[in-house]
Amino acid sequence: MALTVSETLSVGRAAKRRQIWSVGGGKGGIGKSLIAASLGWQLARMGQRVVLVDADLGGANLHTCLGLPSPARTLADFIQRRLDTIEEALTETGAPGLRLLSGAGDLLTAANIKHMQKVRVLNKIRGLDVDVVLIDIGAGTSFNSLDFFLLSDVAVLAVVPEPSSIENGYRFIKSALYRRLRAAAPHAGVRNLVDTALDPKNDLGLRTPVDLVARVEQEDVEAAAALRREMGSFHPRFVINEVRDDRDVAIGHQLVAACGRHLGLRASYAGYVHFEDAVWRAVRRRRLFMADAPTSRAAEEIRQLTRGLLKGETLGPGY
Amino acid sequence: MEDAEHLYGVLGLEPGASREQVERAYRFSLELYGEDTLATYSLLDPTELEDMRSRIREAYQLLSDPERRQAYDQGHGFAPPEIPVVPFPETPEAGAEDVELPEVLTGPDLKRIREARGVSLRHMANVTKIGTRFLEYIEDDRFGFLPAPVYLRGFLHEYARMVSLDPRRVAEAYMKRLPSRS
Repeated sequence: MALTVSETLSVGRAAKRRQIWSVGGGKGGIGKSLIAASLGWQLARMGQRVVLVDADLGGANLHTCLGLPSPARTLADFIQRRLDTIEEALTETGAPGLRLLSGAGDLLTAANIKHMQKVRVLNKIRGLDVDVVLIDIGAGTSFNSLDFFLLSDVAVLAVVPEPSSIENGYRFIKSALYRRLRAAAPHAGVRNLVDTALDPKNDLGLRTPVDLVARVEQEDVEAAAALRREMGSFHPRFVINEVRDDRDVAIGHQLVAACGRHLGLRASYAGYVHFEDAVWRAVRRRRLFMADAPTSRAAEEIRQLTRGLLKGETLGPGY
Repeated sequence: MEDAEHLYGVLGLEPGASREQVERAYRFSLELYGEDTLATYSLLDPTELEDMRSRIREAYQLLSDPERRQAYDQGHGFAPPEIPVVPFPETPEAGAEDVELPEVLTGPDLKRIREARGVSLRHMANVTKIGTRFLEYIEDDRFGFLPAPVYLRGFLHEYARMVSLDPRRVAEAYMKRLPSRS
């Protein structure tokens, strides 16, 4: 699937500085790693230099998505000084421009690594000389996952059109947002309110970030303004995976509207990927469908999604 | 959220929204807070959802009525919509027989109705098997590109069915404006 000249040129120039992208989802088994792998693959195809970071705690399988054996070198080798530079811990994927960094999830959970060392390694990851560092963050809402999500230039939230996935998606967004608000709280009083709001059944009746900010405003107008700024700069982008019909596609628009109206958040709808036999056939063969079935609908949707994310385009309000 | 109090906000709109936007936003909002929705059931409890639905219906009833909307806009100091609100088409739930069809229908009239019904050209083309191109010619009143009347009539029938209008009357009202070929 060759790209047109204009596509290559425009995209090649679009990203001048390194960007951090992350794919989160708050629930396992929704194809998050597959989306991360195909986004990375497509970005590289469009001329970006990409490092895919497997930061899934426990369930690291990005290499399998890419059809690679378990990488011989991982981040652990760098941390334990068996390698001199972090670049040496990268694994070539066979796709030009796309490399893989495994074992970042282990780093985050390892109890025997000092906090300062974690920070140093994370800064090394962020400092890699590439165009896009794309992080597959794990399931769950651990602080480390949330931090990856929060520090991203492009924070993709993958969900499938199923109740549990969407509930977890909301939980993930709320947890991330509250963590951000907590960090921005100017004093202990506001921090306490944020902590209270984190409990869904709190006595103050704070159910959403909007409630929280309104409550803070009663006590401290400036603090409320600071929280609003934080909320305004948090911009998760939904990707609906495994859609089967137009109603599934429409859910993305509904999620964005619900985030805006009930969480006070400016989310957007970045795209969707159809459920397709070609995808799972490729998965079973341990091949990436982007390479294996480039003419499939899902592959075309990933290409559109990647272009849209690079240009900051969204699918509009849905009405 | 701060503008959720005015009726436009209830539908996720800004004052000045066109009639088509009101129609679409209404349908969208009903789905958003519908009983089998995935997007809001975990954010709002059933009572709140029901409350949202009735607020949405009230907002729509007022905003889709040109006279009541005008009074409302004036009362709130909102500018009137750029495109005048016409009492047409009827609410989506209303059957085709309720729609008051004018004597003469233009392509843009049809387009407006179609958009208000939330039917995309692509969807229409898929169902009717009429090419998107011809559907566009119809909506753009490009008579020179349209097929012979006998075929055009069939196209218009299909078109009308897709937007729940009376096929015969739509074809008649549209074809009145065709330049005579004699």
